[in-house]
Amino acid sequence: MSGLKFPISTKRLALRPFDRSDVALVSRYHLLPGVQRYLARPSRYNEDVNACVDIMRNQIGLQRPGDTLTLAMQRKSDNALLGHVSLHWSDATAGQGELRFVIDPAHSGNGFLTEALSAMLDLAFDHFRIHRVFVRCDGRNHHSAKLMQKLGMRLEAHYREHALFQGEWDEEMHFAILDREWQASNKVRPMLPRDRLHERVA
Amino acid sequence: MSYLPDYPIVTPRLRLRPFTRGDVDAVHEYRCREDVALYLFDPPLSREECALAIHQRVLQTEFHQEGDKIVLAVEEVERARLVGEMSLVWRSADARQGEIGWIFHPMHQGRGYATEAARALLALGFEGAGLHRIFARCDARNTSSWRLMERLGMRREAHFREHALFKGEWDEEFIYALLHREWRTE
Repeated sequence: MSGLKFPISTKRLALRPFDRSDVALVSRYHLLPGVQRYLARPSRYNEDVNACVDIMRNQIGLQRPGDTLTLAMQRKSDNALLGHVSLHWSDATAGQGELRFVIDPAHSGNGFLTEALSAMLDLAFDHFRIHRVFVRCDGRNHHSAKLMQKLGMRLEAHYREHALFQGEWDEEMHFAILDREWQASNKVRPMLPRDRLHERVA
Repeated sequence: MSYLPDYPIVTPRLRLRPFTRGDVDAVHEYRCREDVALYLFDPPLSREECALAIHQRVLQTEFHQEGDKIVLAVEEVERARLVGEMSLVWRSADARQGEIGWIFHPMHQGRGYATEAARALLALGFEGAGLHRIFARCDARNTSSWRLMERLGMRREAHFREHALFKGEWDEEFIYALLHREWRTE
């Protein structure tokens, strides 16, 4: 699962591994409440950003299940660091992967994540031969939910109050897409209404 | 915090009670069947395997810590015969989560026994054990199981497709759930 060449180039972005010198750039958005709000392991202080970048700069490939590949989103026009996207190889036998991402709120709404995540889905399915990619997000995180649907991912789960998150009841959504669905098209496909879901099975 | 229910739990037609060693044959009668094992993690069980399983279940009647299971025999009161089994697992102490499950002898299906027994176990989970949310899972092809979940007022929260392998094939799974306050308004 190696042989990757960086940067991975998209229309407007260069996706490349993190570097120690990125700490100052990451600090500019990483500690903003809007960025921290939905993170599983939030950080609060500048030293946490150091630790974060230290972890991310070593996530450069998927050698074994449990590994993560994390790439910085760098805008080609001015080299600005906009955030990061990562692919976690969660299960080898069933070929499962999870996408995670963070974007500087100053740059959201311009389609950068759509562009970067599309490249990551190509990578997951074509290069790493993953069978299913999923994304988890907070139930209140409408931006993420919209983005997933734009990528053609299906809403597979909507858990309510299934756990505690930062001292409150958690609401969580799971989106997923299979390799054959991504190959066929990356357009939005509406789900069947709830009372007709079983027709798929029959 | 421990929870020790009073047994048996009695419903109009059924009695839910701890397993005893004398239940091995009655359980083997349905757990040995291919059609019963189809959507279970276990393959069909031999009589020895049933005896071993029941040996464990004799003690699975109380909650003391997260992960504990209550597994009960469901008995038809009228004929005093065992028709199936119900389970409730304490999945999270912090978030007060439980998972409910059932296995019934196909011969006794279609009489609403599973619905009756499941209602009693939901009451035990919400009122007795103070759970906040109870969920159930099943294979998407197991129509009778998810129809029962819907009859119980549970909501379909998840429909996973090919997220794992189950017995060498791609798995498709439903998760249904019910919150305490939803159950009370039933």
